[in-house]
Amino acid sequence: MSKEKKKNEPKKAEHRDLRDPAYYANRELSWIAFDERCLYEARDRENPLFERLKFLSITASNLDEFFMVRVASLKDMINAGYRKRDIAGMTASEQLAAVEARVHEFVEEQYRVWNRMLQPRLKENGLELLRSYRDLNKEDEIFVDRYFDEFIYPVLTPMAVDSSRPFPLIRNRSLNIGALVTKKGGDGEMEFATVQVPGVIDRLVELPSEQGRRFLLLEEVIRRNMSKLFLNYDIVCCGAYRVGRNADLSIDEDEAEDLLKEIEKQLKKRQWGQAIRLETDEDIDERLLKHIRGELAVEEQEIYRIDGPLDLTFLMKVYGLDGFDDLKEHGYVSGQPVPAFREEENLRDIFARIREGDILMHHPYETFDPVVRFIEQAATDENVLAIKQTLYRVSGNSPIIAALARAAERGKQVSVLVELKARFDEEHNIVWAKMLEKAGCHVIYGLVGLKTHCKITLVVRREEDGIRRYVHLGTGNYNDSTAKLYTDVGLFTCEEDYGEDATAVFNMLSGYSEPVVWNKLTLAPLWLKDRILMLIRRETEHARSGRPGRIIAKMNSLCHEEVIAALYEASSAGVQIDLIVRGICCLKAGIPGVSENITVRSIVGNFLEHSRIFYFENAGDPEYYLSSADWMPRNLERRVEIMFPVEKETGRRKLWHILETELADTEKAHLLQPDGSYTGVDKRGKTILNSQRQFGLEAKEQADAVSQRDTRVFEPMTAADADDH
Amino acid sequence: MAAEVCAAIDVGSYEISMKIYELGARKGVRELDHVRSRIDLGSESYATGRLGTGHVNEICGILNEFCSVMKTWGVTKVRACATSAVRESRNRAVVLEQIEKRTGIRVEILSNSEQRFLDYKAIALKGTEFEKTIEEPTAIVDIGGGSVQISLFDRDKLITTQNLRMGVLRLRERVNQMGIGTRKYAALVCELIHAQLSVYARMYLHDRVIPNIIIVDDYISPILQKKKTLIESGLIGEEHADLPQGVVSAERFIGFLASVPTESQVSNARNLGIPLENLPLVYISGLIIKCIAEVMHTETIWAPGVTLCDGIVYEYAQKRKVLATQHDFEQDIIASAYHISGRYKGNRKRSELIGSLSLGIFDCMKKIHGLGKRERLLIQIAAILHDCGKYISMMNLGESSYSIIMSTEIIGLSHRERQIVAEAVRYIYMAFPESAEEESRSEMDDEMRMTVLKLTAILRVASGLDRSHMRKLTDTDFHLKDEELLITTSTTEDITLEKELFGTRAAFFEEVFGVRPIIRRKRGMK
Repeated sequence: MSKEKKKNEPKKAEHRDLRDPAYYANRELSWIAFDERCLYEARDRENPLFERLKFLSITASNLDEFFMVRVASLKDMINAGYRKRDIAGMTASEQLAAVEARVHEFVEEQYRVWNRMLQPRLKENGLELLRSYRDLNKEDEIFVDRYFDEFIYPVLTPMAVDSSRPFPLIRNRSLNIGALVTKKGGDGEMEFATVQVPGVIDRLVELPSEQGRRFLLLEEVIRRNMSKLFLNYDIVCCGAYRVGRNADLSIDEDEAEDLLKEIEKQLKKRQWGQAIRLETDEDIDERLLKHIRGELAVEEQEIYRIDGPLDLTFLMKVYGLDGFDDLKEHGYVSGQPVPAFREEENLRDIFARIREGDILMHHPYETFDPVVRFIEQAATDENVLAIKQTLYRVSGNSPIIAALARAAERGKQVSVLVELKARFDEEHNIVWAKMLEKAGCHVIYGLVGLKTHCKITLVVRREEDGIRRYVHLGTGNYNDSTAKLYTDVGLFTCEEDYGEDATAVFNMLSGYSEPVVWNKLTLAPLWLKDRILMLIRRETEHARSGRPGRIIAKMNSLCHEEVIAALYEASSAGVQIDLIVRGICCLKAGIPGVSENITVRSIVGNFLEHSRIFYFENAGDPEYYLSSADWMPRNLERRVEIMFPVEKETGRRKLWHILETELADTEKAHLLQPDGSYTGVDKRGKTILNSQRQFGLEAKEQADAVSQRDTRVFEPMTAADADDH
Repeated sequence: MAAEVCAAIDVGSYEISMKIYELGARKGVRELDHVRSRIDLGSESYATGRLGTGHVNEICGILNEFCSVMKTWGVTKVRACATSAVRESRNRAVVLEQIEKRTGIRVEILSNSEQRFLDYKAIALKGTEFEKTIEEPTAIVDIGGGSVQISLFDRDKLITTQNLRMGVLRLRERVNQMGIGTRKYAALVCELIHAQLSVYARMYLHDRVIPNIIIVDDYISPILQKKKTLIESGLIGEEHADLPQGVVSAERFIGFLASVPTESQVSNARNLGIPLENLPLVYISGLIIKCIAEVMHTETIWAPGVTLCDGIVYEYAQKRKVLATQHDFEQDIIASAYHISGRYKGNRKRSELIGSLSLGIFDCMKKIHGLGKRERLLIQIAAILHDCGKYISMMNLGESSYSIIMSTEIIGLSHRERQIVAEAVRYIYMAFPESAEEESRSEMDDEMRMTVLKLTAILRVASGLDRSHMRKLTDTDFHLKDEELLITTSTTEDITLEKELFGTRAAFFEEVFGVRPIIRRKRGMK
């Protein structure tokens, strides 16, 4: 029986095998569906033009990463002869074929959006991006040639290939121009030559213009001047190309004596991993393509002929151009003061404020500043004995890193877990790790074989009535830059139970044995999966016994087979399950008898949805959890993650409101259909609601309310008042 | 009193652990941190009798890391104790010196009885249920890597303690050497346990029913602490929800253990947060408890989850008066001394008399002898055990008593303290050697010699006051006047014998203290 047929004719619930691959979606294809939702935003005329550019750029950078990691991993599996089928019953080869077919369609759609929708609209709005150097006028030509001679030529390294000069290593994701050349006065034999488009020069070359702004891309300027690079040659043809390589690191941590050095070594190799994608101009000369393809050993289906500029990530630069403010979104409010930290006296002492009660923050609507201030104040507070923190991705010039270094210099015990294996942030993190070590911090690199993904900070402070622990736990990274763009939730607490657990987390990360008992925290990879399964099964039991059972879970990705099977079982038992999954979702919604009580929605909005919030009805005694982990095998089985409960009423109310509002979103939510596609929300009879806008407005209202309450009105003293005295 | 932060370190057979505590008048003892580093010292030490450079380096590395953890908490006081692995290694002196030189931490070696007494103190001080539990006959089963200590309580007093060489690591080693399969594993371990347990039961239990056992161990206790998870996993029933943390019915426990080797228990192990590599030791620890519970007909098992570190800090807290307790630990030591004396047919009444006379002299002479509260306890113990040797030989009473005391565990006394007691009892009957050179067998240093000398002098006088074994001097006062210790008695009995034979003992006393003891009857008596 074909898979399709299986899907359409579900078996009776009581005989169902909930692990049947027919009930699961392939994670790679589900990921592409997510990028398609981003592309939908680029297409959506309701969005301001520049926001659409940003979304298109995001689809391109997403796709780059997808190739470097996911497609690369499929290739590795095929190369290694790995035959095991995935959750959806597909072999690696089947997946790769399906992925490549779908990506080809996707790329075509990307460029259709660019060529037919965005580029013409940009021109209408006074921003012209010339497609080719052939479109330049005389005046432009003089300008670009001079620009080439003065600025570009000195940094170029043209390379010719012949028997004595082997094919150069083409860097991962670099843009290059390849050419076939013949020696002047020679026998006409063609040689291959190539030049990398330098990353150090802005890709957007602005042309002189009296009205509006006009740009030509850097590679077009180089193409026009190719002959200057190969003086003794005639250029037969030339074309741009870009290579995507396998960029997954393979580090044997058991063997690596110094993890930091080993990662540095591997990072160098990343540039030269196996080529797995070749993008070229659509009209590239076939002889040239054949040469490049042969050298890079890529197959036909790995070649993407592009109808437009290669590498659309440059659109983020376009987004950053001055002067187009009216084409950008201003309706979203973020960075509002957290009401609990608003009052003047509390600004001075963040610890005093936490002592008054737990504080739950919803970023980016509420500012991330208190988290930075928390570390900064801890660094200078003479009563603070120690600061411990996990760092996964940090911003450039991170104020948190600076504060940690300052604390160590002041003699505090500072332990920082820097995750060197945070994908694509490895180099960055090595630099921070070295800097922190130099400042006297105790830098730890976590546990062998596991990435430390949890976000936790512990400050130990000596106070009048004894030692007190202050803890921050979050769903997002300690990165003050991304905290302005990602939606996350964070909790400050000085409750003893959380403090004890936080101490135990850092002990474990330092290599000590796990504690005898955890009070509040549940950790992956040892206990989290089982705990989540237990919580889901508890709802199943409640529903079977006629008690209310409901699950609302918000996360970035859902692809853990056991967890999904447990959700199916819960759904079959009558538990209402509402999932808010931004990205990959291998669960299929609405299968009769399996998942008909499950809804899945994905919110793709102005901010990147990033928080993980789980709600379990528990027969009328609800439990709320926050976590750094998605429900994916890597999070639950190969990473150090934390899930923690929110038990104080104000925090629980806030979390309920977040979930409730997102479930009511009619604007940016995409609903997963039984056929695996996503559609917008049917707005009929519903109040129009954009959850991200709504959260911003609410954050502002709350901040304003506190601000007004704090404002004291001083009445000027009048002459009459003075006379009274 | 401002809160004080202190650290307790336990250099154990398979793990070095440290706990950090805050001691304050308001909050009492509060645990702040607990770090554990696995290091298998036991295997090397038990097999070779030494600790090699590799292990010493490792210990130093771990302790240096502990130092930085201590800085995190601003620790001002640290006590580090080592147990059997270091104790049983011949090169322990070198090892300890190396450790101190390289880490700045002075590690002291605890005798088995000191170690168990600290564990016991931790139970009594940490567990709120303790006083209630020991109202009924109770056994504390303290399971270590090398041995198991079983201490029996009757009518809320500790009466006996025995050390059985069937610790978890030792049993595992023995069973592993046999290379048997999983099927027979449990049966074989139980057989090894029963071999020792049956002797113990015959000697000390005599078919007594011990309804409660209190567990101190590193494997089962952490599991029993997780009551919520145990109930959620269905390993114990809902009825346990109202019981104190760590309490489980013996029947449930035995039932739970019977199902351990099955596959589903591996997932239960994960639920309970047990590292899989620990499973065999959890299992052996469980079997030890099971066998003991069966022999004692136990109903309730209680694992208060205390560790040696807790004992170390509770003792310190008690000294600092941060922690008040209703339980009198000295009475436990005295009760177990009486129990030993009883076993060797000691004369309890005479022991009591000599004890009270000795204490009378001790208290009266306080300014002169300069000894402390602890030595006061030792002289009591010595008085209780003064005649235990007669069970073996009336002729060699001193030597026999010494041997018995030295080979009997007296819970709560360090090895050194036990030796002081044994030497003091020995020299009641034998001539005290004039110098260390003269005393070839003794390992006494000068300080110990002086203590023993003083205690012996007092004991000899006290014993001399009941020379006839007739307990004539029951009503006696002691008074120190100038250079005389006046022993005034109101007895109406004939004390000629006591007076006549008092001379040599009095001379020895005078030689030691410069004070002459003189027996006098109260005025108006002859």
